[in-house]
Amino acid sequence: MDSIILQSVSKVFHHRPALFNWLGREQGGTTVALDQVSLRVPAGSILALLGPNGSGKTTLLKLISTTLLPDSGRVLVQGADTQVAPQRVRSCVGFAMANERSFFPRLTAQENLDFFAALEDVPRKCRKLRIETTLAHTGLQATTDTLVRKFSSGMYQRLAIARAVIKQPSVLLLDEPTRSLDSGTREDFWCLVRKLAESGTAIVMATHNFEEAAAVGDRVVVLHRGQLAGYRQLGRVAPADLRSFYSQSTGEAGEEYNSESLIESLQ
Amino acid sequence: MNISGLADKTVAICRRDLLTAVRYRSGFLLTAAGAVAELAAFYYLARAIGPGFRPDGLDYFPFLVVGTGFYTFLIMGIHSFLDTVQEAQQTGTLEVLMTTATPPPVMVLLSAMSAFSRQASQFVLYLAAGIMIFRGSLPAPSMAGAFAIFVLSLMIAIAIGMMAAALQLAMQKGSAILWLMGSIAWLMTGTLFPVTTLPKPLRRISEFIPITHALDGMRSALLQGASISTLSREIGILALFCLTLLPLSLVLFSLSLSHARREGTLSCY
Repeated sequence: MDSIILQSVSKVFHHRPALFNWLGREQGGTTVALDQVSLRVPAGSILALLGPNGSGKTTLLKLISTTLLPDSGRVLVQGADTQVAPQRVRSCVGFAMANERSFFPRLTAQENLDFFAALEDVPRKCRKLRIETTLAHTGLQATTDTLVRKFSSGMYQRLAIARAVIKQPSVLLLDEPTRSLDSGTREDFWCLVRKLAESGTAIVMATHNFEEAAAVGDRVVVLHRGQLAGYRQLGRVAPADLRSFYSQSTGEAGEEYNSESLIESLQ
Repeated sequence: MNISGLADKTVAICRRDLLTAVRYRSGFLLTAAGAVAELAAFYYLARAIGPGFRPDGLDYFPFLVVGTGFYTFLIMGIHSFLDTVQEAQQTGTLEVLMTTATPPPVMVLLSAMSAFSRQASQFVLYLAAGIMIFRGSLPAPSMAGAFAIFVLSLMIAIAIGMMAAALQLAMQKGSAILWLMGSIAWLMTGTLFPVTTLPKPLRRISEFIPITHALDGMRSALLQGASISTLSREIGILALFCLTLLPLSLVLFSLSLSHARREGTLSCY
């Protein structure tokens, strides 16, 4: 069964310049974020979304999570239309956003998770245990009682993942989930993602990391300028093969913007 | 959503707000100091004006204390809806909060109710301090009457607050309009002086502002001991405002949220 279905989905953002635009140089116009995109994600599978910056990856995730509504087309999650039954969709979707500033800075990691678990209808009797387990799975057990304003980028990212999985969603959306994680934690996270998929969760993961896409993805979609530029089932595939597939689809090299590649290029 | 689920969410939101407030250590003390300074200013203002000025047949100091205390409670309560949305936009939590299993209007309502309860406790303390300072005699207050006026005024503040939240979602600068509305209400609803001293056209307009009737009713109940039957006019008018504004505010909030989701401006500020 398909957990997520996108049918000819389009999304355009309109930018209206300020009233007295002669004071500055604000540019108006429209941005086509997604153009007639259709895809399906079966339950228990992992879809890796690849694409350059501004290709529409985050927009696609936001459309599935109901943060955004499509201009045309339909988004169905577990059979529910995001425009007709958004609350049904929200109750089964977990979303780890790329935005670090989405927690309450004066609460601890445990208090933040407890708050969001209550909003996500996690039953009170199993909440404590589930928070402890989730914090352990994301490597945050040592910082349970630390105020999150003291967290590093990587810790924020782990907490965002913890928040997304705490409700045990049937659809999990991950926006560049390992961007700030060290390599050890990254591999632990990949194991967690695979386990969740094996338990039946449909996962969509936007990433710039070919190694990550190859390691966890069952299939890959390449977005380019809001359009579906490539689609491929992944068996055992090497990151280099994925990179060449990406280049063929987008006409771009697909460099990963991490510090290691930058240092290498500087040397 | 069942009652226990709602109670669970309410507890979670109140706990979050309490923990956050406690961890901003100086905030509590500064608020208390501000209230004490305001009371002292009103006390000496009433003394300077003298006992000859008796608005609506009441001593001026208790008139001021009930008027400003209840006005502040209602206006700050309305502001708390806008602040809930604005803070969530600025801290980056709005998109997350609007995509949880809790429906967005419930989320905003519960967050604002938590702020309302803080305002209510401040109002009670403010009144108690005012009564302690005031040395004159007052008739026994009508608690039933005060409660009825309080509940209806609260519902109206919730409705206006939801509209303010909708405004913030739609134009990201709702606070400017709310500040303007608050200033107009401060002038025209009889907070500092009776509405009867206003020119006739302004008096007519003030009748269409629910806070005017809320302040009238609260003063009558607390300072003159007016029973529920005596307050029937104010209660009827406030009930009418409730019935009109509550459904309208929910529709406006839903439309505004849907517009923000369509335009992609949910987290813009």
